[in-house]
Amino acid sequence: MKKKKCIAMLLAGGQGSRLKALTESIAKPAVSFGGKYRIIDFSLSNCVNSGIDTVGILIQYKPLVLNKYVGTGESWDLDVADGGVHILPPYAGESGGEWYEGTADSIYHNIDFIDMYEPENVLILSGDHIYKADYNEMLEEHIKNDSDLTVSVLEVPIEEASRFGIMSTDEQGRITKFAEKPKEPESNLASMGIYIFKWDVLKTALLEDHEDESSAHDFGKNVIPKLLKEGKRLYSYSFKGYWKDVGTIDSYYEAQMDLMDPEVDFDVFTKDVRVFSNNNMYPSQFIGDTAKISDSMISNGCAVYGTVEHSILGTGCIVEYGSVVKDSILLPDSHVGKYCYIEKAIINEGHTVDDGTNIGGPDQEVQLVGETHLTI
Amino acid sequence: MKTIGLITANYNSDNFGSLTDNRPISSLPFGGRYRLLDFVLSNMVNSGITKVGVITPYNTASVIDHIGSGKPWSLDRKKDGLFLMPGSVYGIHSAGSRFLFRDIIEHKSFLDKSDADYVIIASSSDVYNMDYNDLIKKHDQNGSEVTILYKKVALDAGHNGYYLDINDKTGAVKGIYDYAPAGPANYFMDCMIVNRSFLLDCIKWFAQLEYKDFIEIITDNIDKFSVGSYEFKGYLGKINNINDYLKVSRDIKDYGIRNELFHTDRTIITKVQDDAPVLYKGTGTSKNSIIGAGCKIEGNVDGSTIFRSCKIGKNSVIKNSVVMMYCEIGEGAVLENVICDKNCEISAGAKVIGSPENPVVLSKGSIV
Repeated sequence: MKKKKCIAMLLAGGQGSRLKALTESIAKPAVSFGGKYRIIDFSLSNCVNSGIDTVGILIQYKPLVLNKYVGTGESWDLDVADGGVHILPPYAGESGGEWYEGTADSIYHNIDFIDMYEPENVLILSGDHIYKADYNEMLEEHIKNDSDLTVSVLEVPIEEASRFGIMSTDEQGRITKFAEKPKEPESNLASMGIYIFKWDVLKTALLEDHEDESSAHDFGKNVIPKLLKEGKRLYSYSFKGYWKDVGTIDSYYEAQMDLMDPEVDFDVFTKDVRVFSNNNMYPSQFIGDTAKISDSMISNGCAVYGTVEHSILGTGCIVEYGSVVKDSILLPDSHVGKYCYIEKAIINEGHTVDDGTNIGGPDQEVQLVGETHLTI
Repeated sequence: MKTIGLITANYNSDNFGSLTDNRPISSLPFGGRYRLLDFVLSNMVNSGITKVGVITPYNTASVIDHIGSGKPWSLDRKKDGLFLMPGSVYGIHSAGSRFLFRDIIEHKSFLDKSDADYVIIASSSDVYNMDYNDLIKKHDQNGSEVTILYKKVALDAGHNGYYLDINDKTGAVKGIYDYAPAGPANYFMDCMIVNRSFLLDCIKWFAQLEYKDFIEIITDNIDKFSVGSYEFKGYLGKINNINDYLKVSRDIKDYGIRNELFHTDRTIITKVQDDAPVLYKGTGTSKNSIIGAGCKIEGNVDGSTIFRSCKIGKNSVIKNSVVMMYCEIGEGAVLENVICDKNCEISAGAKVIGSPENPVVLSKGSIV
């Protein structure tokens, strides 16, 4: 088998409990986004658009839907003979099995998987980020710098820097200091949780970290500070473009509204770098003669008879006659009955809003309505 | 009982103007995202048929590009799967039946290399969603050599094609005619189920008549063969000409018809293109219309079908029209009773107006 230059490991294990009812029955990367997508589509599409054809998805929280959704990887052209997409849940060995204890620990448990491909480099990704990136650019810089670890960083407003892992760098971009959520940040370069490691360096670090009982087995808290202390070559890579971590209901709502905002530099509509997804097969949308639509995104399979303003309708949604949906997101297969008024709300997947229901208003916080009823 | 499928996708007709210049009727775009072929192909797959042969036309690009290895229909298999079989006649035209016997003879090995009991033979220009298991069951029960699928239509339906004279008691077909009899008629749906062994016998017996249509061979021998019938009671969108095409495109806006065709357990499957959702910008809006994914709508769409990835410019008006994929309609342009084939560009302020009876057809890639 040919050795791989770089393979990707996608961390999709967390519960994402701040997304409340959205992740009650499914893992966060499987949560619907932008009408027809699911959050993981963005990372998987980035991989395939960057020519990375081998992806391990590390998962342990409610994996079934994500597993079914990813399938053979066919939807992302990741069903390739030598590589492809692999779902990697925790598994038992001769001395029993263990859950993944942290980000680094989950990779540690899959050292054998990575070794099967003998990659020169390993790209570590999070399954819950919304962005478009060409990982090749980062990989080229990583190779050019002869870097042991390259961390993708984003410039953030200094007043927000204390929420992130913050890098201090020298003029060549070499990382001199790393502080996880510092109270008084020295720089505004925030780690995006996207790393490229030389595999031999990472493997050694993971084996050592595993032996360290005081470690939380986390990349940001343990592995990166350790490598820095050892004097390894750590470089930053400046990411330019739109990037959003959709960890909370508010950021999840805002990131989706950004899709419709021409001021925001994030384009899911372009054909050049496509975002792929695995959708149920729906007919084209039908817009009835009583419908009024403005500034909205509407997906396949929808039927609209009411008024939709500045909202996103996921696949297979129905808005019946006499209803108004404003500044809201209807997740796939949700159904708004007749004479409803919905403003600043997220209607959960497959949820039915009964006739005549009023939800939300202009001055209210964004609210999530209903349980998840999946049809994928 | 094991059944395989044989679809003819190689027919053209003069009734579609430039829409069929470079494609067979089977690959006419339909309903915002489909090709006509999708319906019969999906019906077969949804009925549990796992081996399907498709007879392709000489202008084969659109068919091959669309169905490829058959992956969306789960027909890319090690056992059985999709068989693309080139048709034997260059540019074959027919407004009637579409089963040139020579095409079946040429691909005899498709029938030989199978242990199936039955073969469903169907052309692929009609819009309907059917569980062929009902047809298979009926055929199995009445023990005929052939069972023909038909739909009762009103006298004024005006369909080209074949009509059946059926024995009311037994359901046996007494005669097949290429004109409508008086009164409500039993319209042949260009689909039948045949015993595989009988079809192989026919190839032996009638090799000399290879220039005939298989339905003609059945007609000529109706007294000798045992021919049964099965009535389809669902919605049939018969597409024999441009006006049919527009009518069926309008029909699917009806809630009941749309539900029957698309929202059943038997999904109509098509090639997936990964288009983004439709983006309505500013005052861009649509009503009483079908809109394909990936469109950007800034104008007004009314009573129309817009296919995937079209751009509808500001203040433009699209009325009672069909706009196929990748068209760009400039600012303030007006289209009324127009069919735009794919990749057309309508410049800002241009007006193209047809009438409901005589829609204007803009051929592929037109610039107005």
